[in-house]
Amino acid sequence: MILTKIKNLNYLLIFLLILLSFIGAAGLYSAADGSYNPWASRHLIRFYVFLLMAIVISVIDIKLIYKYTYLLFIFSVLLLISVEIIGVLGKGATRWIRVFGFSIQPSELVKITIILALAKFYHDIKFENIKKISFLFFPFLILIIPFAFVVIQPDLGTSLSIIMLGAFILFVAGVRIWKFLLGIMATIISIPIFLQYIKPYQRDRIISFLNPESDPLGQGYQLIQSKIALGSGGASGKGFLQGTQSYLEYLPEKQTDFIFTLIGEEFGFLGTTFIILIFILLIAVCYFISIKCFHTFGRILVLGVASNVFIYVFMNIAMVSGLMPVVGIPLPLISYGGSVMLSIMISMGLVLNVEINYNLKKLNNA
Amino acid sequence: MFYSEQKKQVSTYNRRTFFLFLLKLSLFTAVGWRLYNIQILDSSKYKTLSKKNQIDLEILFPIRGKIFDRNKILIANNEKVYDLYLIPENTKSINNTLNDLSKFIDIDFTKRRKIIDLSTKVKKFEKIKIFENISWSTLEKIETNKYKLEGIFIAEDYLRIYPYKEVFSHLLGYINKPNEKELALPFIAKMPNLDIGKQGLEQSFNPELVGKAGQREIEVNSYGRIIREISKIDSVKGKEVILSIDARVQEYAINLLQSHRAGSINVINIKTGEILCMASTPTYDPNKIIKKPNTEYWETILSNTLSPLTNRSIQGLYAPGSTFKMIVAIAALKYGIINAASTHSCTGKIEFGDRVYHCWKTNGHGKMDVTNAIKESCDVFFYEISKKLGIDKIAEVAEDFGLGKIFDISMSNQKKGIVPTKKWKKTTLGESWYAGETLISGIGQGFVLTNPFQLAVMTSIIASNGKIIEPSILKRDKINFQTNEKYSKEINIIKKAMFKVVNENKGTAFKSRIDDIKFAGKTGTSQVKTISLSERESDDFRKKEQEWKNRDHALFVGYIPHDDPQYAISVIIEHGGSGASTAAPIAKQIFSYINKLDI
Repeated sequence: MILTKIKNLNYLLIFLLILLSFIGAAGLYSAADGSYNPWASRHLIRFYVFLLMAIVISVIDIKLIYKYTYLLFIFSVLLLISVEIIGVLGKGATRWIRVFGFSIQPSELVKITIILALAKFYHDIKFENIKKISFLFFPFLILIIPFAFVVIQPDLGTSLSIIMLGAFILFVAGVRIWKFLLGIMATIISIPIFLQYIKPYQRDRIISFLNPESDPLGQGYQLIQSKIALGSGGASGKGFLQGTQSYLEYLPEKQTDFIFTLIGEEFGFLGTTFIILIFILLIAVCYFISIKCFHTFGRILVLGVASNVFIYVFMNIAMVSGLMPVVGIPLPLISYGGSVMLSIMISMGLVLNVEINYNLKKLNNA
Repeated sequence: MFYSEQKKQVSTYNRRTFFLFLLKLSLFTAVGWRLYNIQILDSSKYKTLSKKNQIDLEILFPIRGKIFDRNKILIANNEKVYDLYLIPENTKSINNTLNDLSKFIDIDFTKRRKIIDLSTKVKKFEKIKIFENISWSTLEKIETNKYKLEGIFIAEDYLRIYPYKEVFSHLLGYINKPNEKELALPFIAKMPNLDIGKQGLEQSFNPELVGKAGQREIEVNSYGRIIREISKIDSVKGKEVILSIDARVQEYAINLLQSHRAGSINVINIKTGEILCMASTPTYDPNKIIKKPNTEYWETILSNTLSPLTNRSIQGLYAPGSTFKMIVAIAALKYGIINAASTHSCTGKIEFGDRVYHCWKTNGHGKMDVTNAIKESCDVFFYEISKKLGIDKIAEVAEDFGLGKIFDISMSNQKKGIVPTKKWKKTTLGESWYAGETLISGIGQGFVLTNPFQLAVMTSIIASNGKIIEPSILKRDKINFQTNEKYSKEINIIKKAMFKVVNENKGTAFKSRIDDIKFAGKTGTSQVKTISLSERESDDFRKKEQEWKNRDHALFVGYIPHDDPQYAISVIIEHGGSGASTAAPIAKQIFSYINKLDI
């Protein structure tokens, strides 16, 4: 039973994941001046542990996952709240919670349970009800509760990605277009109010994005250095381990949020477009699985996961290339950091699971 | 019906999925286009930025504020000096560069080791300071051979200079690198290498003197040459501080003190509370502490048993001796123990309990009223009145006159001394007060301890008829102090007595009088060693040349002019002998000097 399931896994998807993790390891090896320590080795070990976990998730009975979706959602929100409480008690913003020696960022996990919860909700309701405004209340609740807690952390990047994720899922589920337009308008109107409440360092980031010269030493400095690294890479790059910007410690957070610039410097435009193409392929594979799937739960779940990956990738590259303010979003499977990798691999396990069970018609008689 | 609904849902879903995918593709295309722009179209621009030039961030240190005396004479200045730096990245080999450099400036083995050691610890592009404050001739040689010396460059810096050398050392202190704890101070944020005040007023006024850091972003080429300045925020100079001190008086006072081993002179402007002079010896030269290497100089300072680092004016504690008698007399008059006419007979000693208390005049003063008792400094009179007063009443008055107090003059480490009370002895020593101790306290000996500055404040309060003087180390305009009316009558009597001390025959300081502008005061001789009975019986113990450290401290407090007091003084010469012979003449010299000045 399990063996047939494993035989039916989407190995193209798994191959793409392994490829990305290797690119990440190469980048991290270079970031450490040609050393597996401290990042590259741990990056790869983590990846294989999490890949194993993803395969375990993929063989779990999907009906069980469906059944306990809301419970998982509530649990993840509680984790998020506990981080907030610990943060308050410990005096200072925190995004991390330590579980069995691992640092976990509940805001990453909550994105998966949001996708799950929305998928279940749209699976359960009748199609004609989707158009009704009253049926927007519950999805709105699913989005706003975690959003609120992420905003007060404060984590600008993650709160922004929750909004985008919700918009993508609601759009695909069939919510009327004019409601989105209304939503966009409401967002634009609320920006000035929002600006009043964000922390000074976040306002600095937005200002430095709009005018990097205003703060060449702080946020603008990161951006200038990041662009120099990318641009000096040229078409084919300076070659592996030949980047100079990063060796000179000019690149801030080169192993996490700015790893893409390091790769861009060493492998050039070819390298950067190659990474983007792999991600497009990964997302396309998810879309095929989504279209193929018979049940709405699976469709929306997979599409949500694909959107989540897209948001990470798009925001990260847009950020380091100066299209977007620096908001602190890593590049999945390439940046160093366990929390995001864990969340991505859990969601990939779910995608693999959906593909195995794509032809199920009913999910609620488990 | 149901089936068609489902079909509709699927088609909506597929359509929207397709659109969403298109949206994502186009967003990726936008990002790809952006990367194409940066990495292909603008690549050459970024390549030059990356290859040749590096962007360097430089913190611009502010120039420390100058310090002036009351007449705008500079007493702490900054001098431009030149330092030599090395950037390891810009050398082919640090050793070669140091070899080349050693033709112009001496580099010993340990120095070389230190530089190479340091170069492995810092980032390659960071500069290392290798020589400080290099001489003009070396500077010229290095400047002309600059092209041969890879990675070496010269930078301007400022060195703190104290033109008066040791004259202001205790007042100003000196500057040095901040320690771990001081790094947290808000005003030196971003500038861990900035020298800050470590002692005295340099330390107290750090927040004003430091100024604000500026910063400069520069593009430098691989030889360390600055190609272009990208941005610059100028540093803001530290504020200037103008002291109440008169450099001339201060210098004069230090010179007078130099003929003794240790002592202190304090002068206060009674009208304004301004401190005109606060001198303490032995002293040290802060310039020699700032200029490295300074280990040898430190050694000599630390090995000096007279501890030159101590500011005796506020940190030296001495028994006030007879200068305390004004306080006891005021208390006795205030509490009706005596009136201006009451007399006691002095036979040279009194017996109390099982002890004999001696007057300094072995044969006794005879019949004494309070005025004469102060004028001639009769001890027996004060034994008698303090016996009746009790220690607590004396302490109360002493505190009203500023003894046992710490003043708000921006100087840390003031020692407040001891104004003993019964409660004080119980809590600190755990013993009850003995009546005999009151007698000893009545002549300013025993537990009573004051610093010289407190005595100057005490004298100012007496001279101003009880004004509550708030002393200041900063120059200030006229200020109206409140008057404590409580002691007006008593002060009046005491001031007449203090006039007689200096200006009447038999007064203890009569020899030090000034004829044109008359001053008033009180001598004090504070006993350091208990005189044993056998020594006393030998009768000539006073004439005998005693070992320096056993000799009495000489004190004098006073004010000038006697009829409209302008300046108050306290003088203490450690182991100087008697107040009349050593301290009073110094006060006279200071007063005469001030009279000649236009302050």
